[in-house]
Amino acid sequence: MNALVVLAGVLFLLMAIIGGKKGIRSFIALFVNFFVLLVAVLIMTDPNADPILLTLVACALISCVTLFFINEVNSKTKTAFISTLLTTALMLLFIFIVTEQSMIHGFGEEEVEEQTIYSYYLGIDFVKIAASVIIMSTIGAITDEAIAVSSPMFEIRKHHPTISRRELFMAGMRIGKDLLGTNANTLFFAFFGGYLALLIRYIDLEYTFGEIINNKIFSAEMMTILCGGIGVALIIPVTAWITAYVLTRTPKQAD
Amino acid sequence: MNKLKQILLQVKMKQWFLASILFLLCLVSLVFVNHNATFYHKPIAEVSEIVNEEQANVTDSKENHDVVYTQLIHATLKNGEEKGSQIELTNEYSDSRAYHPKLSVGDEVFVSVEESSSGQLVGSIADIKRDQALLVVAWLFIFVLLAVGRKQGLFAMISLVVNAVIIAYALDLYIDTANVSLLVIMSGAVIVMSILSLLFVSGFKAQTYAAIIATLLGTFMLLFITMYVLDITNEQGLRFEEMSFLSRPPQAIFMAGILVGALGAVMDIGVSMSSSLFSLYEKNNAISIKDLRESGIEIGKDIMGTMTNILFFAYVSGTIPSLLLYLMNDASLGFTLSMNLSLELTRALAGGIGIVLTIPIGLYVTILFILWKQVKS
Repeated sequence: MNALVVLAGVLFLLMAIIGGKKGIRSFIALFVNFFVLLVAVLIMTDPNADPILLTLVACALISCVTLFFINEVNSKTKTAFISTLLTTALMLLFIFIVTEQSMIHGFGEEEVEEQTIYSYYLGIDFVKIAASVIIMSTIGAITDEAIAVSSPMFEIRKHHPTISRRELFMAGMRIGKDLLGTNANTLFFAFFGGYLALLIRYIDLEYTFGEIINNKIFSAEMMTILCGGIGVALIIPVTAWITAYVLTRTPKQAD
Repeated sequence: MNKLKQILLQVKMKQWFLASILFLLCLVSLVFVNHNATFYHKPIAEVSEIVNEEQANVTDSKENHDVVYTQLIHATLKNGEEKGSQIELTNEYSDSRAYHPKLSVGDEVFVSVEESSSGQLVGSIADIKRDQALLVVAWLFIFVLLAVGRKQGLFAMISLVVNAVIIAYALDLYIDTANVSLLVIMSGAVIVMSILSLLFVSGFKAQTYAAIIATLLGTFMLLFITMYVLDITNEQGLRFEEMSFLSRPPQAIFMAGILVGALGAVMDIGVSMSSSLFSLYEKNNAISIKDLRESGIEIGKDIMGTMTNILFFAYVSGTIPSLLLYLMNDASLGFTLSMNLSLELTRALAGGIGIVLTIPIGLYVTILFILWKQVKS
């Protein structure tokens, strides 16, 4: 039996037993998201397609699946969706500039060494693809935080209907702050776990400190961690502001 | 009232003081990193002029069209014995910039220097100097985290640094001691990191102890389940030969990576479960175990989907460039996916198993702690 199939089976069983219907929906959502990512990659192979635009569309679809399919379509998830989209667009612009300036795009020396049989003259823009990788790595965390901030703000509004926009915003910021550390941690460990082999190689081949920090792959990885951190921080004020705005704009909330 | 104003003023003063120190540090480090060439042993050159740029259209055997540019560059050496002298470099990049970047005036590169027959210094580009860009983004990260999270932002950064140091120390230890397996050392590191991080986030409280126990149980159970599954399936479907950057046997590094990679997510679940159940208990000391269990399961259902999603994208997105490389070199979709994704998907699935398992583990460990508290009072 294929190890991946068995692991997927174990995960499905656990999610179904512990999470019931919602667990099964979460499992399906993983596959749908995987499919979205794959289709995005397939379209990227066309040199005429703009990777940045594709990424934005893919991120929108992914957060749609996460927010509307696992949860449901209501005003909480809708505000979370808008916040995610806005933050993703802002971050994409920022990350694009960062990747271009730091020249972390494309493959590293260590990677090219291993895949010599392939042609690297592909005609697609790897600067944009590098930006797309960074934002895609954090889209899960950004979406999670958006719903985690907006949902309790709706509850606060329900219990204190007279709360002002400013107070509501501050409440959202307080909720977000508590999540900031754990979310940054989740991303951080995931990236380091994925790159243990690289770190061991640096020590084994006796790279100096200067060589490590200027190395393309290491820089790219650090940029991913730092930009991920900026993303999970930025989503907090964006969500808090949008939610506060939406909640205090209409005198009566339908939900 | 006056006293209050004074306190407020003091707090403001303190904040201003801290902010200006930070700003000063930022400035000093930025100046330093732009003038640190003498601290590097490798020669560094700054591009002063792009003399010539030739372009040629290329089409590879898979009908991919690209344009290759060859830049002839004059640069000034910034360190070493020939500091200040001119050097001639060439840089070849393509429109896709899949490997070498496009250089422009002002960029700094690491070079190897040779003297040509005419006495003119020539060299080849070894790498790009990326420390300035890294530092700028690092400062942006620090400012954004502090602006949004204040104290929590600071705590988040401290815990990131502490954990990075622990991981680096553990890896050093592994390489220095030949006989101890990486998995054992990383397990030790995982125990230390989860205890420190969780104590740091929520302090010496019963709910922290519950979160620590839940995290450790969850992490090691996911490790054993994954090892067991890989064992009974003979690792079928896993393409270890495609693991990048190997300097040692892959299996051990891979398992240690799974352990470390899932830790953050599992800790997150452990904290969420214990802190939300404890706050329910604190609101109502007489709450029944049945109610606690039902609320716990509800909370767990809400977080399991998004948490597995976070890990999934953190792992799988990194493969996009290689997926494109394979696909555009006409590799079949099945081959491309199995070569590039089998290990990342295994990581994501294993992490997902850890996340979901930690929900009931966190629930029952926390209930035990609450029961113990109820009995004591």
